[in-house]
Amino acid sequence: MSISLAVSSSSSIESPQARIAVESRNLRVFYGKFMAVRDINLQVEECKITALIGPSGCGKSTVLRAFNRMNDLVPVARTEGEILFQGKNIYDPDVDAVEVRRRVGMVFQKPNPFPKSIYENIAWGARINGFKGDMDQLVEESLRGAALWDEVKDKLKQSGYSLSGGQQQRLCIARTIAVKPDIILMDEPCSALDPIATLRIEELMRELVNQYTIIIVTHNMQQAARVADYTAFFMVDDTRTGYLVEYGRSDQIFMRPKDKRTEDYITGRFG
Amino acid sequence: MPGGQPSGARRPLDLRKRTRAGESVIQLLLRVAGAVSVLTTVGIVVVLIYDAFVFFRRPEPTFLEFFTGTAWQPQILRFGIFPLINATLLTSVIGMTVALPIGLMIAIFLSEYASPRARAILKPVLEVLAGIPTVVYGFFALGFMTPLLKNLFGKDTVEIFNVASAGIVIGILIIPLISSMSEDALSAVPRALREAAYGMGATRLETAVRVVLPAAISGIAAAIIVATSRAVGETMVVAIAAGAGPRNFGDWGQAVGGLNFLNPFKAAETMTGHIVRISGGDLSYDTIDYDSIFAIAFMLFIITLILNIISQWIVRRFREEY
Amino acid sequence: MAVETQQSKVGYPEGRAFERFLRWRKQLGALWGTLFFLSTLIGMVVLVVLVADIVDGAFGYVALEYRVDPESLVLDYHKNQMVSMPKTLPSEEDVVLVDGIAQRPAAIGFVGYAYYQQKADSVRVLSVDGVLPDEATVAEGRYPLARPLFLYADAKTLASKAEAALFVGEYLRRVDEVAASVGYFPAGESVRTENLAAWTRASGLSGESLPVAQGELSVTGSSTVAPITQRVADSLVADNRFVGQVQVESIGTDAGFRRFCADLGVDLVDASRPMQSVERAACLQLGRAPIEFQIANDGLPVIVSSQNEFVRELTRAQLQQIFTSATRWNEIDPSWPDQDIFRFIPGVDSGTLDFFVTALFGSSLAEQSTPVLLDILTSNISAGRLRALEAQRPLAELSKTELVERIETEVLRPQVAASWSLTDSLLRRTEIEAAAAAMPGTALIFKSWVNWEFLTSPQSSDPLHAGVRTAIFGSLLVTLVAFLLAVPLGIAAAIYLEEYSSGKSWFDRVVETNINNLAGVPSIIYGMLGLAVFVRFLGPLTSGLAFGVGDPSTANGRTIVSAGLTLGLLVLPLVIINGREAIRAVPRGIREGSFGLGATRWQTVWSHVLPNAITGILTGVILAVSRAFGETAPLIVVGASTFVVVDPNGLFAKFTSLPVQIYQWTSRPQPEFQHLAAAAIVVLLLLLVSLNALAIWLRNRYSRRVI
Repeated sequence: MSISLAVSSSSSIESPQARIAVESRNLRVFYGKFMAVRDINLQVEECKITALIGPSGCGKSTVLRAFNRMNDLVPVARTEGEILFQGKNIYDPDVDAVEVRRRVGMVFQKPNPFPKSIYENIAWGARINGFKGDMDQLVEESLRGAALWDEVKDKLKQSGYSLSGGQQQRLCIARTIAVKPDIILMDEPCSALDPIATLRIEELMRELVNQYTIIIVTHNMQQAARVADYTAFFMVDDTRTGYLVEYGRSDQIFMRPKDKRTEDYITGRFG
Repeated sequence: MPGGQPSGARRPLDLRKRTRAGESVIQLLLRVAGAVSVLTTVGIVVVLIYDAFVFFRRPEPTFLEFFTGTAWQPQILRFGIFPLINATLLTSVIGMTVALPIGLMIAIFLSEYASPRARAILKPVLEVLAGIPTVVYGFFALGFMTPLLKNLFGKDTVEIFNVASAGIVIGILIIPLISSMSEDALSAVPRALREAAYGMGATRLETAVRVVLPAAISGIAAAIIVATSRAVGETMVVAIAAGAGPRNFGDWGQAVGGLNFLNPFKAAETMTGHIVRISGGDLSYDTIDYDSIFAIAFMLFIITLILNIISQWIVRRFREEY
Repeated sequence: MAVETQQSKVGYPEGRAFERFLRWRKQLGALWGTLFFLSTLIGMVVLVVLVADIVDGAFGYVALEYRVDPESLVLDYHKNQMVSMPKTLPSEEDVVLVDGIAQRPAAIGFVGYAYYQQKADSVRVLSVDGVLPDEATVAEGRYPLARPLFLYADAKTLASKAEAALFVGEYLRRVDEVAASVGYFPAGESVRTENLAAWTRASGLSGESLPVAQGELSVTGSSTVAPITQRVADSLVADNRFVGQVQVESIGTDAGFRRFCADLGVDLVDASRPMQSVERAACLQLGRAPIEFQIANDGLPVIVSSQNEFVRELTRAQLQQIFTSATRWNEIDPSWPDQDIFRFIPGVDSGTLDFFVTALFGSSLAEQSTPVLLDILTSNISAGRLRALEAQRPLAELSKTELVERIETEVLRPQVAASWSLTDSLLRRTEIEAAAAAMPGTALIFKSWVNWEFLTSPQSSDPLHAGVRTAIFGSLLVTLVAFLLAVPLGIAAAIYLEEYSSGKSWFDRVVETNINNLAGVPSIIYGMLGLAVFVRFLGPLTSGLAFGVGDPSTANGRTIVSAGLTLGLLVLPLVIINGREAIRAVPRGIREGSFGLGATRWQTVWSHVLPNAITGILTGVILAVSRAFGETAPLIVVGASTFVVVDPNGLFAKFTSLPVQIYQWTSRPQPEFQHLAAAAIVVLLLLLVSLNALAIWLRNRYSRRVI
């Protein structure tokens, strides 16, 4: 059934002009002695949606969090290899994690607005990042960008918690785009949402991709097939270490997988 | 089984409620145990009100003098509670000034900065501090803090008994209380909020102070109020180090003039300190001294009760919904 | 599109501006991070300082002032023994002594060496422990009845006061000759060379021909050395080598050193013993660096008449026997004749007798034999006190160390003249020694205020003998009563609130809010409750009179029971709150499993909830017990007695407790009571630590069994 779904609208084929937004080279992440993922080589194209899929525990979230150094927050985590962002390895000792996260924003699995007003939720990130312009305008622009403006424009002073789950998640997206990142990472952004809210977010992603590079982790293969231009398929080996099996255009991955394991997975033979 | 029912036949079924005598007795006993704590409160309230009432029924103290007098001198039958309350407030304010910033910063450090290993070492140390009997802190105030203050501010400025030394040590005493309650509140803030902040490029400081701290504010407020109540009720430190007699004033002009009532380097006796000193000797019943300490204790009880009620109200009213 | 992106980014600092901005944020973050860390550090430092302050007070130097000086106690005892022996002739005149001995074959005695030499034909010198006195054996210290004699000067005086330097120079050249004439042994050639070298170093003078000294000098100290100094001075004045006056005083070596190290008016000291380190420290305090010149050796020959046929040599033990216990010669050695011993000894006030006694019997208590100690003890206390001591434990059974202790407490009766903290004791040792040396009749000891006697003695007004025994018993009993009240009630209430209470009925709600409020009530308020209810209202019960067991002196109800019940109520909320948390932590599934099998509520609680919650409950109980153990204010209000010296004999006894004891000692201004308070705190904290260690051990043991 999933295969019968139309693959994303993007028609451009890989061309010499295609620019790489971020790229991982021989990425390995350890939690203490345990190697969570090994040797990930992934080139993410600018202004495209790239989906990371695979069975539970295959390390796709770990890879995603490696792109903005969120793994730094786990005391036992250690990263090897390189992640090149605009030609610069973000794991170089002279690179600042704060700066990386300002350029590579993140939307989380469960909506996690701050316990502040809707307005403040967006203004806060802008303020700490030294925003000097018209705050009202930025808030409106961001909420519009997240397709939330019309729903909340009359209650900007209300708590972010007063919104529904789907609205909260769009608020989180709005607050992320308010700081103007280059890349947005989304860690199963729809897993806590109902189907209608999910649809709104997917539509939103297709709009955002005109301005931003998006990397999304999803459990839902249909979602990957629906929204992603590229898809990376991860597996887990006997030692519970995740690795990249196959990476390519989504239509190719879902229609003509080269690897037997990919085919087994997307046809539901396991996972 | 001879005479028994043939197998396969239905056993009689009786689902009627039955009284289990044992269970009821046990439940009653447990209820009584719960009631003892209520009786304690009732006892405290009755005792304090009754003896305070006996005190005010005497001819010497009047209500008006009690609340407006500027001297507490039982020997000459002057009963103005201001000097005692003033000393209690002075030591508590000094204590909170010391404990609040340090306690909060410790809480932030432990919850947001320290590695799990550091936390595993530091938290027990604070628990040890919290477990040291207060009389030891009294010894510390008199034997260490007072000489230290004398060296810093001059031997003549600082009296041997003084409010500052007692206040600072009270502060030290309640640091563990503030830090551990606040740390609990900070740790209860979900990880997701921190990740959201980091994900937008916030530094550790910005995350801690501008996201986590506000989210935990109600728990912290409760901690502060509990600590204040503790500072007000603290006895041994002030009994040992603050003063051996009330800081009396001739009149209000003398008290306020030159801010004499605020001088931290002079001796002053707090409400609790006075109670301990008066009851330390052999106190005979039915004397005005005996009754007067109950009037003071009643005031103290009211102050701490109000603080405790506010703190519980804050906890209930602003319970976090993350 | 690129342009649009550019536009929408307006408002954010970019490039260099962003770097600057980020650097500022990071600096701010680092600054505050450091502050947070420092605050935490303060917490740790406070704990260290607190412990250090306590340890600081619990150990340190103490200057003890004895009512009687221990050395003179020993000296006087032996001198009395010697003088009171029959057929003993004391005389201040050495000539009388020598002649007396010469005339009687059964006589024995000791005199200055010079006098022996004068009559060497009519008396015979004996060897002691196989050594005869002569210049070599005395100088080497092999002869037991020998000691060096000294003159002390100081570097500053020698360098700056010419007459002193010249006097010492001449002194050192002439002393050998003079010493021999007074009756001492010369110190010898090598000592003399050394002395002159030291003198040259200090004074800068040398050579044979010295200018004539002019001025006034003051020499003080030992009466043994004074004759030498006097004769040197006389000969210098007579030879016109010294124009002016040399004042020589005999005040004893101890006093001489004390004056020398306290008063710059004294130029030189005569000494019959070397200067001790405390005295040297006192001198250095004054800016004097003492220089020691050994000027001669003193050796006392023990002599008998040359008509005496049997004695050639004696041991020290025999000498002791001869002068203090034996009456006839054959008691010393059966082969000797059965004749009375005649003893000729110098007068009681002479330094020679003191020297003889000290050399023969030693000067400290520890050197004395058990019978001597027993004798010293019994002869120095009243008959009544002696009976009281015998009643405690027969004195004859006491060991030597115990006897020394008894003599200290009964006869020497030391008092604390001054005391120092541990830090001072370690860092300012010289100053302390100097201060102690300046206090006559004091001994400086390093004292641990926490010691076995402190733990086992009752309260006392004498800080050297006060202890915490009664206070510890009081604390244990009060805590036991509190435990018996609070633990069953608290656990029961916790079970009720967690397992039975619906939280909806008015009773449940009242209990619920009430417990939280109770936990916030200041402890002193509980004291007021205890005073009004347990002490006053229930007095007849809590004093035990209603049960006929009370002591009439505690009929006021200020008893262990009252205090324990008060503390029990105080810690009750603590037990309940911790107990509830432990019970709440038991997984629902366990209860459901039990109910599912048809168990009643109590069966579920008893067989499943409590065993699983017991570890947490136990922790709460230990916390509560620690709290009760350290609580002070309520006990003072309830009426802990200030001065209890007998162990509590039951629950209806009056009491004191360890924290109350600490409070009382802390409130006393004298420093020795602060030391006692520190020591008591050490005991209190150790008890609390072991209580908590016990809790951890119990918890580990128990939780292992549950799993």
